Amino acid sequence: MSAMPGVVAVNTFREAVRDRVLYNLVLFALMMIGAAILVGQISLGIERLVIINLGLSAISIFGLVMAVFIGVGLVYKEIEKRTLYTLLAKPIRRSEFLVGKYGGLLLTLLVNTSFMTLGVGVALYYVGRPFVRADAWILVAVYFILLELALVTALALFFSCFSSPMLSALFTLGIYVTGIFASDIRGFGEFTNNEALKTATTVLYYLVPNFHNFNVISAVAHGEAVPVALIWQNTLYAVVYAGVVLIAASAVFSRRNLK
Amino acid sequence: MKTAFRRVPWLSLGAMALLLGAAALLQMRIDAQASDVAAQKDELLLSSPSAIQKLSLGNEGLLADIYWTRTVQFYGSHLIAHASNYDLLWPLLDVTTTLDPKLIVAYRFGAIFLSEPEAGANRTDLAVKLVKRGIAANPENWHLDSDLAFLYYWRLKDYPDAAATYREASQKPGAPLGLKLMAARVSAMGGSVETSRMIWTEIYDSSKDQTVRNKAAQELELLKVQDDEQRLDAVAAEYQHRFGRLPANAEELRAAGLLRDVPTDPEGYPYVFGSDGKFALDPQSPIEIPVLPPSAEAAPASKYK
Repeated sequence: MSAMPGVVAVNTFREAVRDRVLYNLVLFALMMIGAAILVGQISLGIERLVIINLGLSAISIFGLVMAVFIGVGLVYKEIEKRTLYTLLAKPIRRSEFLVGKYGGLLLTLLVNTSFMTLGVGVALYYVGRPFVRADAWILVAVYFILLELALVTALALFFSCFSSPMLSALFTLGIYVTGIFASDIRGFGEFTNNEALKTATTVLYYLVPNFHNFNVISAVAHGEAVPVALIWQNTLYAVVYAGVVLIAASAVFSRRNLK
Repeated sequence: MKTAFRRVPWLSLGAMALLLGAAALLQMRIDAQASDVAAQKDELLLSSPSAIQKLSLGNEGLLADIYWTRTVQFYGSHLIAHASNYDLLWPLLDVTTTLDPKLIVAYRFGAIFLSEPEAGANRTDLAVKLVKRGIAANPENWHLDSDLAFLYYWRLKDYPDAAATYREASQKPGAPLGLKLMAARVSAMGGSVETSRMIWTEIYDSSKDQTVRNKAAQELELLKVQDDEQRLDAVAAEYQHRFGRLPANAEELRAAGLLRDVPTDPEGYPYVFGSDGKFALDPQSPIEIPVLPPSAEAAPASKYK
């Protein structure tokens, strides 16, 4: 593979910065400041928990919104603006273009998440709590959120290869919600006596990305350790699943008639 | 032309301020007419903890924090208003602890909110249920066993269960020696202020949370005041026994050799002498005895609890 995906990735990141995507950090900062000041006044004994829970949930939700709504426009915008034709006239494969776009959005999410994590750290420091060793698990939770976002971005990119942004966003969010409820869906199937339904829900369970795997926010908020096995298993799961989705996206996009 | 341009922003700003003021006035009118709507604030739109858990889409921890804050606000507002209907307390705590079974503070304070006879729901049964749920979810946490033992001992007067629970608590990792002493004491004796003091002292010493420590310190101060006033009342009764009347002031007690000097409350303020011949807190003292409904004030044994 050439260096072209890297070039596309850097330009995608620059475009996101130009589009003032990172302005969401201001909102995040205001939210953390508000929480740090307010919670101690209106609640009881949960200052630290709120900062961690709110911080990590906000990182996840802000990231999800960015991954979906920027991701679904990654290819569509290039086609709409006709900039894709200029790009594809250069020595770059369509699959490389997709990987570059994907990498660029991931880079944007990484920078955004890093600043937000820093914000959580500052807020924790503000509420007067010395850092302890167990706080390192917060970084693992952030890493899991990034893995989750990598999957969502791959899905959004996949749908954007053949659908409009509106429909792509709906499909991506639909799969995200299904992925969160995956174990429940399988559970419903197991309650029935219908073997076909049981098989269908089990297949669905393994087919959709199980986003619940990546949620350790509550555990780390209470200072609980995350098993090392879960870290590498989740990493591998995200890489494998995102790989499958990107290959599918590449296959669809390569066959797409752009005329 | 230039002047006209300069005027436009000021005109716009003025119009915006006027319109915002009008909107605020309208809102006040709406609020005044919407007492029925406001009354509905004490309702849970979703009362199924598992449904709320599913709908949280992975943000259970944050939602639990929000529900816990709502619980504290609900309890606090009812306490201030001297309201007696705490029906929503259990559903709120149920949702909170289902969303985050590790939220220890919700079990510990929730049990207090539920079990308080005058300043709470007076539902020790639910408090016991809540703390037992906490122990099931956090079996390594001795604080919860200690709280459960307190409920058995102080609220239910169930000394055998209290002693057994203190013993269980004392066997858990990190449990202080005091719990073993408590188990022994509860086994041997009935309810006393002394035991309550030991429990609050334990909570004060073991808690890292400043809010919890402040609450424990406040309870200890109240217990000290209760002790002092009981002791001073006894001295006044002794004076009445000797001289056939209650003392008019502390000087008379000193003159009779019953009192060396007037003791002070934990904040350093001397106790004052009331017209009924009983000692009380100096009105200037920062110690606040919880304001209770008239029926509760009539019961001296529960005055400070």
